Amino acid sequence: MSLSKLAVRGLLRNRFRNIATMIAVSVAVLTFVLLRTVITSWTTAADYAPKDRLVTHHKVTFVMPLPLRYVELVRQSDGIRLATYASYFGGQDPKHDRETFVSWAVAENYLEIFDEFSVSAQQKQEFLADKTGAMVGDVLANKLGWKVGERITLESGIFPSAPDSPWTFTVRAIYTASSSSVDRSTFLLHWSYLNDALPQARQNQVGWIATRTTDPKRSGQIAAALDQKFASDEVQTQTQDEKSFQASVLAASSTVLRAIATISLIILLIMSLVLGNTIGMSVAERLREFGVLRALGFESRYLVTLIIAESSLMALVGGLLGLALSYPLIERGIGVAIEQNMGTLLPHFKISPQIAAMALIGVIVIGGLVAILPAYQATSLRVSEALRKVS
Amino acid sequence: MIPIQYSLRNLIRRRANTLATAFGIALVVFVSSAAGMLAAGIRHTLMASGEQDSAIVLRKGSDGELSSVLEEELAAQVLSAPGIASSPNGRPLGTDELLVVAGMKRIADGNIATVSIRGITDTSFALRSGLSFIEGRAPRPNTSEIVIGKQMRGRFQGLEVGQSFELTRNRPVQVVGVFACNGSSYESEVWADANLTRNAFGRAGLSSSIRVRLKSANAFDEFRTALVKDRRFAMEVYRERTFFEKQSEGTATFIVAIGTLISIFFSIAAMLGAMITMNASIARRRREMGTLRALGFSRTSILFAIILESCLLAVAGGIVGAAVSTALGFVKVSMMNYASFSEMVFEFRPSAQTILSAVFTALLMGLFGGLLPALRAARIPAASALRD
Repeated sequence: MSLSKLAVRGLLRNRFRNIATMIAVSVAVLTFVLLRTVITSWTTAADYAPKDRLVTHHKVTFVMPLPLRYVELVRQSDGIRLATYASYFGGQDPKHDRETFVSWAVAENYLEIFDEFSVSAQQKQEFLADKTGAMVGDVLANKLGWKVGERITLESGIFPSAPDSPWTFTVRAIYTASSSSVDRSTFLLHWSYLNDALPQARQNQVGWIATRTTDPKRSGQIAAALDQKFASDEVQTQTQDEKSFQASVLAASSTVLRAIATISLIILLIMSLVLGNTIGMSVAERLREFGVLRALGFESRYLVTLIIAESSLMALVGGLLGLALSYPLIERGIGVAIEQNMGTLLPHFKISPQIAAMALIGVIVIGGLVAILPAYQATSLRVSEALRKVS
Repeated sequence: MIPIQYSLRNLIRRRANTLATAFGIALVVFVSSAAGMLAAGIRHTLMASGEQDSAIVLRKGSDGELSSVLEEELAAQVLSAPGIASSPNGRPLGTDELLVVAGMKRIADGNIATVSIRGITDTSFALRSGLSFIEGRAPRPNTSEIVIGKQMRGRFQGLEVGQSFELTRNRPVQVVGVFACNGSSYESEVWADANLTRNAFGRAGLSSSIRVRLKSANAFDEFRTALVKDRRFAMEVYRERTFFEKQSEGTATFIVAIGTLISIFFSIAAMLGAMITMNASIARRRREMGTLRALGFSRTSILFAIILESCLLAVAGGIVGAAVSTALGFVKVSMMNYASFSEMVFEFRPSAQTILSAVFTALLMGLFGGLLPALRAARIPAASALRD
């Protein structure tokens, strides 16, 4: 009888216990995958940020704007290929006042620098052609029931509209994303529409400037040169490549991320307790049988392998079951709710192949590790003693 | 009835299995009670900022103080609305404030993190009833003296009594006091003179919000109606407590949701663990069960003894887990509050309720984990078992 066949037989022996154990393993895998997906989804923006894109904002605080004339100065600087700008609009739809979403007033060439928005050429054209046009993410559009051509009125606490002329927009384009770091719940409007409607004192200001450099390797130098350029001007700037910028945003949440990572390891620990307990019991019940096998001439090494294989096999079956549960539950259920309600933070809630592989390899390794002690117990007993054991 | 010692002794007899299972349950209880404590801490911090008899006025369409822009002149008009309490000198008790954020250098890792800076007037102190200075004194009005919340102290460069730093370029400020305020989110803020803040952050003539103390909690409707009726203003009026509840919704809901989800999954895993342990223990005791039946113990009393055994196991684990989790009460978590876009310090808040509900969850795990094995034990027939 081959080793694998014996291991399978071992699993069929105490069916109630083994099935319960495998369910426990599958629940652990499901939880592990869920928590790890939260982490990857949260950190994904930093991973995808292109190295050649720089963001320049006010040195002290992002709530203070930069003068519009800086854009031209930045564009003419050494190493800069393209420059665009945007202001945080802070719009809210009074018809859906419990839904918050991010809205940016963007320059005409915004989509050239942020090329990860995917939108049909025709819709893009229509958005650019209409001064009061808006381009919204598909997740947001679905959630609020907006269609192309729909008229929308927004209120903004940052840019209060005059009572007789509220901020009205026509949805001209609905975008999806070509990169998983894009928040598909954003509302884009034209900066020029905003600017022209503002009182003179607040005109010609931008929230931040984004640029693409000619050489990603020199990004650090180019950024430093930009800040140097404005060092003695009216407003000082802080320029970072997008990766470092995202990393600094993430650093603010590092405690939460660390906590989630720790919890995901605790569930594996709980799983190893359950699995180890089961294997321990199953070996303890079969000491006599192992004695018989050894009396028949099977080497200890063979028995150790058998016990470890049995344990890993149980872990593997539980792990596969857990993954089979994870995909529909996380991607169809929880993930959709998260993308809709927390899209800014967790824009792309999908299980990555790495996580799935990590979970599966993890449980198999744990399955093997927890079997070591019982396996040692099974083989350390003298054959004569083992045979005397009453089951 | 079978005496309780029977259940207890059984657990002690199979030490290794009992410990492994109880430890698993302890971990589950630890995690779920920690999540509960953190959510309670976040709610406490954000809600302690709001008082029932105070109101806050923001620009319509803003989702928080940071995205609300009000003209300075509005304050006088709002303060003339009905329903506002009077200060000792007979003026209405209320003031406009400006909230901005600024990057400051964190001492622990040298990184720049965002800190809330509130431009205040001397009325601001009178509006927060729980506020007290734990070191130093209140700032003199219209000076560059600032005070800091106690959670900020020592966390960022320059934030210590007697030190000074530049708020923005060429705007030096001196820290003259540290205040505490019922563990509220104000304790994670820096308070500077309103006009100084306006000038430093290019917000001349602008405020973020107007806060007033109402004559009584019931005066809110009168106050709100008067302001909302006036269409010139386009303002949003909230009871302060409601406003902060709304602010804490996002973060606390996230923690509670993920905490609950994790607790449920964890509990299932641990419950299965308890079930396996109990089941094995029954299988090994077939003969013993038969003996008990032969001695005249009823099926029900066997059922209860086994369930009791399982519950004892689970509750022991639960108590250990809950006890260890209360140690987190000493831990402070500094994290981004997405509602204010700034770093805020939260504490784990142990409460009798979280601990009891954690132990109760453990009890449920024991109950359900023990049910199937107990039924199985109770069904063992005396005669055949004794022959095994």
